[in-house]
Amino acid sequence: MSANTKPPGLATWLLKSFLRDDLVEEVQGDLDEKFQTDLKTKSRYKAKWDYWYQTLNYLRPFAIKKFKRLSAMNNQLLGNYFKISTRNILKHKMISVINVFSLAIGLAACVVIYLFVSDEQSFDSFHSKSSHIYRLDEVQKFTGTNEQKVALSMPGMGPALKRDFPEVNNYVRFWLRGKQLMTKDETKQLIDNVMVVDSTFFDFFDFPLIHGDVNTCLDRPLTILLTESTALKFFKSTDEALNKTIFWDGRDYQITGILKDVPENSHIQFEALMSMVTYTKGEDNVNNSWGGNWMTTYLLLEPNSNIKRMEEKFPKFLSSHMDDPQINSNYKLFLQRLDQVHLASNDIEHDYINYRKFNGSYLMIFYVIAGFILVIAAVNFMNLTTARASHRWKEIGVRKTIGAKKLQLFGQFIFESVMLAGIALTVALLLDILFIPILNDLIGRQLSIVQLFHNVWQLAAVLLATLSLGIITGIYPSFYMTSFNLSRVLKGGNKSEGKSVLRSTLVVIQFGLAIGMIVSTLIVIQQLSFMKESDIGFDKDQMLLVNMNNEANEKFETIKKELQKQSMIKGVTASGQRLGNNLHQWGFKVKADTGVLSITPSNVNVDYDYLTVYGMEMKEGRGFSKDNLNDNGRAFVINESFANELKLKETIGTRAGHDWYHNDSLGTIIGVVKDFNFNSLHYKVNTLALVVHPEWGYNELSVKIEKGRNAEGIAAVKKVWDELVPSYPFDYTFLDAHFEEVYRSDKQMSAVVTIMAGLSILISCIGLFGLAAITIEQKTKEIGVRKVLGATESQITVLLSRNFAGLIGIAFVIVSPVAYLTLQRWLETFAYRIEINLLVFVAGGVLALVIGMLVISYHTLRSARANPVKALRYE
Amino acid sequence: MIETRLGEFEEVILLLTGILGEEAYAFKIAEEFESQTKRSVSIGAVHSTLTRLEEKGFLKSEMGKSTAERGGRRKRIYTITAYGKKTLTAAKEFKQALWDQFPGFATSKVSFGLS
Repeated sequence: MSANTKPPGLATWLLKSFLRDDLVEEVQGDLDEKFQTDLKTKSRYKAKWDYWYQTLNYLRPFAIKKFKRLSAMNNQLLGNYFKISTRNILKHKMISVINVFSLAIGLAACVVIYLFVSDEQSFDSFHSKSSHIYRLDEVQKFTGTNEQKVALSMPGMGPALKRDFPEVNNYVRFWLRGKQLMTKDETKQLIDNVMVVDSTFFDFFDFPLIHGDVNTCLDRPLTILLTESTALKFFKSTDEALNKTIFWDGRDYQITGILKDVPENSHIQFEALMSMVTYTKGEDNVNNSWGGNWMTTYLLLEPNSNIKRMEEKFPKFLSSHMDDPQINSNYKLFLQRLDQVHLASNDIEHDYINYRKFNGSYLMIFYVIAGFILVIAAVNFMNLTTARASHRWKEIGVRKTIGAKKLQLFGQFIFESVMLAGIALTVALLLDILFIPILNDLIGRQLSIVQLFHNVWQLAAVLLATLSLGIITGIYPSFYMTSFNLSRVLKGGNKSEGKSVLRSTLVVIQFGLAIGMIVSTLIVIQQLSFMKESDIGFDKDQMLLVNMNNEANEKFETIKKELQKQSMIKGVTASGQRLGNNLHQWGFKVKADTGVLSITPSNVNVDYDYLTVYGMEMKEGRGFSKDNLNDNGRAFVINESFANELKLKETIGTRAGHDWYHNDSLGTIIGVVKDFNFNSLHYKVNTLALVVHPEWGYNELSVKIEKGRNAEGIAAVKKVWDELVPSYPFDYTFLDAHFEEVYRSDKQMSAVVTIMAGLSILISCIGLFGLAAITIEQKTKEIGVRKVLGATESQITVLLSRNFAGLIGIAFVIVSPVAYLTLQRWLETFAYRIEINLLVFVAGGVLALVIGMLVISYHTLRSARANPVKALRYE
Repeated sequence: MIETRLGEFEEVILLLTGILGEEAYAFKIAEEFESQTKRSVSIGAVHSTLTRLEEKGFLKSEMGKSTAERGGRRKRIYTITAYGKKTLTAAKEFKQALWDQFPGFATSKVSFGLS
């Protein structure tokens, strides 16, 4: 037969694969004959097609093979599996408990990590257009300051981008006004996160509106939207609030809508929204404002817009709207998709509208840790089951003798491990119910196991994961146990099982991961305590911050004098901005010998004794003094970084001033303060100029309170405040609480890593405990003989421990370099960081070794002390 | 009531097996079925029925000769058993009896079973 006259090969193969063996000859013969007959009368194509048709028509009950496997898996057999598995689990209680608990702890940890990660990832996902919304960010590079990414943009940019770019469907801008005092009749309330937004707000975001018209509520000037709970601070019901007015900053605003409270998983958090049109009328139209960056702009792009191509066109866009020849070396615009804003903004500064900002790369670390924990738990299972195989030889032998197929034995062991995994999952969920509330307290979250049951798919995924965990961990032991050949099994096997290369490898992997996590925890904790303890150049403890309004500024000197009378108050000062983040930057001029230098440092407006109260040290020159009339607005204290940047021969006495000062009426640099970390330690200290400028007004009063007298201090400040500033409620916070917030992401990461490292060493040790029990039991006879021949207890203990100690040693050697490199990379994300001390590694290794040895000592000592007669009678 | 125990398709297959004699194997029967009835049928369907008829004892089979078109494979030749013949006759007679009771057709000769 030539190739052309052969029936289709695939069909032939298929036929053979499903057809009963005794039918193959006649059926293939019939089909071939038909095919050959067809070839004479029909096209080859048709003949082949018909062959396929005939083949598939043989898929009939009478013709197909009986699949024995399928028929074997009947209920009765499963019932038997269940019975035997239950008996086995109950018979070896210790091993079963170890298996179940290590898997359960592993699963519980994974569930928690999953809940944590999915909580972070749920941010902003409720906006239906979220995949088309982008935030406009800038990279700023000015002379004399660190290059920085900022979340701010110029008010003119939004409208211009919409005009110039066909990709931009719309824009919405946020002007954050912070905390504001609003009044309705007698009710005065501080409303936080007040924002001015464009009327396009609802075209972008799906914040639900309870009352009011989504399309028009922000269309008129002097209108305001309140969230439900804000409205209820002023009115009895939200119905009543609609269309009423509320008083703020000298004007009445009409309430045109009530919003549902902003959900926790939104990076934009507000209590009131005011209409932008209030500011787009007349001369001060913000739409024409360029140069200053003080709004946050979001763009709604057409689907399938090419972000890269847009970003390439931004330089041309900037130069077409601004005359500055430097514009494109100073600014680079870029776009950030909405889902990146929460998780990928850690290197972005001046990012004021970003609630609970989280370092997204930590999520990856969490996933990896979850994987590690599962591996460690799975290793326990595999090790213990294979090590214990000899106990089941008789069972396997008998089953084989009465005709059990290999596959059936295999199925039985897999069934057993899936069953254990199932029990472990139940225990895991119970553990989670118990421990999640404690964990929430520890990391400041509201995670809940209930979230897992909200979504059928999630639950299915958890079950599926548990099932596959059971199967995967079951495969190796099952394979191992079913591979014994029958005669060996029935003779009782041999005792060479104590040494298994694979088992040793698994212990090495397990302890490697555990040691890696212990060392990481130590380093992470060191770095965090370094940030907490390290000298940031000023005293952030015991510093009470009080929000100030106009009246408080007017009466500032009186307030200060009153407060200074109190014994527990150690100092009173004020400033325009709070420490703990980057301070506002603007242009600054310095008159050097070579001409006037233009620099853009961070700037802050402070009270005369600010440096003293905050304990900042002078390096050169003097601080501000009230006695010197020129110190008001005409004197500057710059930081060391700024001085180094200037590289002047004589910094003190140099003429300098803000950008808008006339070159002839500049002030003087009167002092250089030692660098202090006004920003988070992730960043290098930026150049900074301090000035005393009471007319600009201060934002916050800083009151230093004696340690241990906080309650008294707060009460005293409140009393003075309520007397002197009736127009504004006493609203305070502590500076160290603010710093806690700055390092939140890092702290939560460290908490999770610490807990997980603890769990991983715990699970590893549980496993080691079980493994030691089994291997030592197998050596009972050997120990007996040795003792009879005169070995001492300590010799035997050493003998038994040596093997495990060696494995932990190998794990340590392998994992150390990997851990070192990983940790080094993490530390590089901090501008101020610790050096990795190699002793930490030694400590981690020794810790693992000591814990490991302690754990197995229970078994080693017991068998070393046992009466040798008993040992020799064993078996 | 007399039960024929034969389906229409089964009856035809049984008859065709008888007609084909020495050449009665699945492929040929299917071919013959198609040419006689102008209805298409798969060899699998025929084979399945043949097996069933053999199980019921109407047919018996044995492996026959091989030919070149079959790639040297043998074929299974089916022959009607005495019991098969008896059942066929019974079926025919039962239907004939029914026809005879049908006033409009009482005397006419018709082929039944097929149409």
